[in-house]
Amino acid sequence: MVKDLDKAIAQLRACRPIPEAQVRELCHKARELLIEEGNVVTVTAPVTICGDIHGQFHDLMELFRVGGDVPDTNYLFMGDFVDRGFYSLESFLLLLCLKVRYPDRMTLIRGNHESRQITTVYGFYDECLRKYGSANVWRYCCEVFDYLALGAIVLGASSNLQPASETSTGTQSKNNVTSTREYNEADIEIEVLNAEGDILHRFPRKKGQANNVIQRSPNKSSSPVKTGPPGSGASGSSGGSVGNSSGAVLCVHGGLSPLIDTVDKIRLLDRKQEVPHEGAMCDLLWSDPDEIEGWGLSPRGAGFLFGADIVKTFNHNNDLSMIARAHQLVMEGFKEMFDNSIVTVWSAPNYCYRCGNVAAILELGEDGGVENLRSNGDAGRSNGASSILAFRDKERVPGPARRYRVFQAAPQDSRGMPAKKPVADYFL
Amino acid sequence: MAQAVPAPPPDPSKKRVKVYELRNNDWVDRGTGFCTATYVFNDSLRKDEARVVVQSEEEPERNLLETKICKDDGFQKQQDTLIVWTEMSTNIDMALSFQEADGCAMIWKFVNSVQQQLSEINGPEDAFSDEINAADTYSVTLPPPALGNLPDINAQMQHCNLSPQGRDALGRYIINEDYIRKLIPLVELAEDLEDLPSLHRLCNIMKTMILLNDTTIIEHAVTDDVVLGVVGALEYDPDFPSHKANHRHWLGREGRYKEVVRIEDEQIRKKIHHTYRLQYLKDVVLARILDDPTFSVLNSLIFYYQVEIVQHLQTNAVFLKELFGIFGPQETDQERKKEAVLFIQQCCAVSKQLQQPARQQLYNNFLGHGLLSVINFALHHSDVGVRVGATDVLVSMIDHDPQMIRQTIFRQINEKQTPLTDSLIDLLLVEADLGVKAQIADAIKVLLDPGSQNGPLDSLAKAGGDFSRLRPQADPQQELFLSNFYEASAKKLFQPLVDLKDRETMDFSVHQVSLFIYLIEILCFFIRQHQHRSKYFVLAESLGQRIAQLLSSREKYLKLTAMKFFRNLVGLQDEFYNSQLMQDHLFKPILDIVIETMPRDNLLNSACLELFEYIKKEGNRVIISHLVENYRDILKDITYVETFKTFLDRYDQTQGFTTLSEAVHFMDDDDETPKRSDAGRGTRWESGIKDLDAAEEQYFNTSDDDEDEEPIKSSTSINGASPISKPLVDYGSDEENENNDAGIVRSDSKTPESSDTKDTDEDLVLTPTSSAPTPPERLSEKRRREEDEEDELGKLSANKRRSSTSSNSSVGSITNNFLKRKKSLNGRDGTGPAKTNKIAISLSPAIKTGGEGNANGENDN
Repeated sequence: MVKDLDKAIAQLRACRPIPEAQVRELCHKARELLIEEGNVVTVTAPVTICGDIHGQFHDLMELFRVGGDVPDTNYLFMGDFVDRGFYSLESFLLLLCLKVRYPDRMTLIRGNHESRQITTVYGFYDECLRKYGSANVWRYCCEVFDYLALGAIVLGASSNLQPASETSTGTQSKNNVTSTREYNEADIEIEVLNAEGDILHRFPRKKGQANNVIQRSPNKSSSPVKTGPPGSGASGSSGGSVGNSSGAVLCVHGGLSPLIDTVDKIRLLDRKQEVPHEGAMCDLLWSDPDEIEGWGLSPRGAGFLFGADIVKTFNHNNDLSMIARAHQLVMEGFKEMFDNSIVTVWSAPNYCYRCGNVAAILELGEDGGVENLRSNGDAGRSNGASSILAFRDKERVPGPARRYRVFQAAPQDSRGMPAKKPVADYFL
Repeated sequence: MAQAVPAPPPDPSKKRVKVYELRNNDWVDRGTGFCTATYVFNDSLRKDEARVVVQSEEEPERNLLETKICKDDGFQKQQDTLIVWTEMSTNIDMALSFQEADGCAMIWKFVNSVQQQLSEINGPEDAFSDEINAADTYSVTLPPPALGNLPDINAQMQHCNLSPQGRDALGRYIINEDYIRKLIPLVELAEDLEDLPSLHRLCNIMKTMILLNDTTIIEHAVTDDVVLGVVGALEYDPDFPSHKANHRHWLGREGRYKEVVRIEDEQIRKKIHHTYRLQYLKDVVLARILDDPTFSVLNSLIFYYQVEIVQHLQTNAVFLKELFGIFGPQETDQERKKEAVLFIQQCCAVSKQLQQPARQQLYNNFLGHGLLSVINFALHHSDVGVRVGATDVLVSMIDHDPQMIRQTIFRQINEKQTPLTDSLIDLLLVEADLGVKAQIADAIKVLLDPGSQNGPLDSLAKAGGDFSRLRPQADPQQELFLSNFYEASAKKLFQPLVDLKDRETMDFSVHQVSLFIYLIEILCFFIRQHQHRSKYFVLAESLGQRIAQLLSSREKYLKLTAMKFFRNLVGLQDEFYNSQLMQDHLFKPILDIVIETMPRDNLLNSACLELFEYIKKEGNRVIISHLVENYRDILKDITYVETFKTFLDRYDQTQGFTTLSEAVHFMDDDDETPKRSDAGRGTRWESGIKDLDAAEEQYFNTSDDDEDEEPIKSSTSINGASPISKPLVDYGSDEENENNDAGIVRSDSKTPESSDTKDTDEDLVLTPTSSAPTPPERLSEKRRREEDEEDELGKLSANKRRSSTSSNSSVGSITNNFLKRKKSLNGRDGTGPAKTNKIAISLSPAIKTGGEGNANGENDN
């Protein structure tokens, strides 16, 4: 069975679809696996968080080249595997194969494109029809979509960066030889690397930042990368010795929902359904952060817009240091907003083969010893809100140290001809 | 690329402006100067070009900016004093901020008129009208086709390609000179010489010609004598120097064409081949490089050809007779029967692109010739491909008009034939192919859905298989149909469930499991749709208890499906079902699952919890009492969520809900309305929610007119939502506000703050900013195909269905064109109907605010 899987993986890596019967088998296995996952999967660092892929198979390969191959690197993909690109099928099936082959090293959560309705309009349905001559494969895949988790919580991410590991990129550059000690002393919070591992930017952790929890945020520009330190209105007891571990990171495709005020509420959803047009499940997959206060209606027609206050309150109440989400194209590949309380990660370079953007993945390092591990079960579940609040008010856990790797679209000649296979026979 | 041109003498048309360019998401001031917009003669192209020039104020001999107006939608005006665009050559976003609105208006008038001309020339629908007026301004002569001349030819074509007039003239030249045919021998020649550079050039030349977007050229390119040469040249794509495609292999001769019944009409046969080639061009050869106009030209050509082909076939009685005769007893060639089914399948697939009346006619003709018996034959065929074909045909007809099929089934019933529904049921029970099975299950649902009798174009997409449908209206025939079904067929359909009664173990084969899942899903659907009939059926056959047995299956997803059956029952809030559930103690096995999966957090567990959460939310006292009275000990043990404790508390506090006032109090206490339920916990959400509701309400009150544009989710929010747009909408005139409504926030552009959140299609951000002076916002560089432009839920309009085929995009573009035109009525930018979608883009409120901010900033300077 493992042998078959490895064969399928090899075939898919070459961007060749696997036979329908094999897809059925694969989807069946994936379903068995996914049904055991909670609506919010618990993942422990180290993990590499990725945003939208959208069928850009060759760019997915580039992603694995830059971020390290499976199973050497743990991945968390935040949905939107399909539609728009030419190779939705190969991309999704490869990810699914890897999931089945290395269940603990791959986490897939659902995006708004993992839906029957959306895929009939944006390409995945047509692609399946074209590549297999019937919609069966599309049906199998959609069935799997229904089982995908809605979110993930990353625990045990280190608040200190470790040197980029040599294994992740084959061509590690010379000028990137900072020792662990240097990292610790510099207290780097954010590091941006290019595809070859060269450092593009570094941002030390801002002192006192750990405390600006719910200050009313003036309308300041969001990305720290662009604008430098936000005004620190922090005061009160400093973070002190919070140790090496940072708060949890919630990963979800779209964003928050007015119906969900705690992560536990997500666990009470019945996710096995087509993405509904409204309600909590819909919002998680469709919402976007925006420079507003409170909630706003989304121009997308589904989900909501939510402002900095919402994010900060949510993070505070749920012991999160950050939310990672995808869903929106960002030209630089990633974008942190609202005093680094939420980040958008986008992993489809040159989106739609013409947007000219770069892509990024987010690496969260491993903290030495993970103590407050929330297992995939009850450990993290609150017994009523009060107990958690008591703990929370003491101090804000620092955000995890974040390493972004930015990469560009795979070079043209590595991707071969756009092999849309034509229909074999025709009568009309 | 723009060559220097002496600046015209200073004149009143010079307007004082600041030039900005977007660098790293900051608008950088490139200096102040005077702006003129005028035609400038370009020596190398020997023609006038419209340009915008800004002469530096400090050094008058220096031009701060010189840009050509060469796209019909390049420039956009924002507010009174801003013009923004993306510089073609550098792909940098630029902006001109005028000192005075008058100056801006004057420049804009010129720019706009040029753009309008461009749009008329470029617009595909105007391909004919411009022929005359452009003809006299421009002429092209290319060097004679020869390998040595290829670099020259290529260069000259690139030149012409730069301006619309040039493209036009080039197109005419190519047709008049029959240039393609003359080029074609060069392909073979270059191949013989293994002259790769020439082949690459030929490929580029061929691409350029096709992308000229001239219908005549494209039609010519797929004709028999040149098509192989054309695709032959396209096999050598310089973008993939190490690859060679094998298009000729695919399109060679008529190898892949199958003719089940001879089509006598020469023209139609040709059209069939041409259509195939066009599709091949669109989907394979040009897939990567197609631009929007060429894409839609290809699509509409394909569309018109297909209309013609289908019209011809369906009105051709001789043809149809022979086609359906294949299924008669005389025909012995099994392979031919199979091919005939596949032929019909393709006909139906093609017909999905057609307009409704034509499709209707086709189906009627097919049905008249005995399509149903063909389907019946094919459904029982041993070849799974044929069965897939048959279900495809059936489903596409059902999608089109279920009532049409039902009528035929009535006739079958009246004539004492086996009705199609029974065949489907038989098939569902034995079918091995899971894909076919799924389609059949779908078909059964739709055929037996009394709500969907609204005939053709029933607009509720049912891709999910069971989106809630309209409530049934009584229709005597339909009633008869249903009662007939419940008398006989239903029992057969659900027999496998009934048979569970005497079954001891719940171990099933894969096929049994999938069958149960489909049956339960169908039953859930029936329960929602056929209220009383299904009720008695469920009761009479004790289906609740049978399905409860499945809760102890080892297959998790079967468990889950069974669980969802009960969730469906509870969701109906029907006392009959509720009391049945309680009477048969059917909550017990569900509680057992909770206990069994308990600390684990998995899908099954969440689904169970959701059921009980629902009961809690609805505050169904009868069920809560039942749960507490019967399962208190179990409930007590489930402490990892609050739900069950809440049951106990509520019950105990009200002594089993004995006092009415208490009960009412308890409901109030719950502070959750059924709809917005979950949000109620914790007051901090409250205000937000209220705002939203108010906003929604306001939305509903104001913007009904747009509804037909956004069929599904027109309700919420496509429109700029009120809470957000409030700060934005402080324009004086009503018209502007209206424009906001009409223009919807389909912005490809964005405010500077969010400028790294680049909005494409699905990434619309509406960003109100009240921050201090902000520079103008930046335009996105590229427009996407219309259908790509937004990824809103509302876009999933009904005519885009799961059933659409690979060329479904043609439908898309057609509908989109339609929408586009429609919107043009709303768009008031006066830039002409061809591109109003884009106008809507430029008018997003976010932009306006951004622009306004800038205007202020500018004044501060």
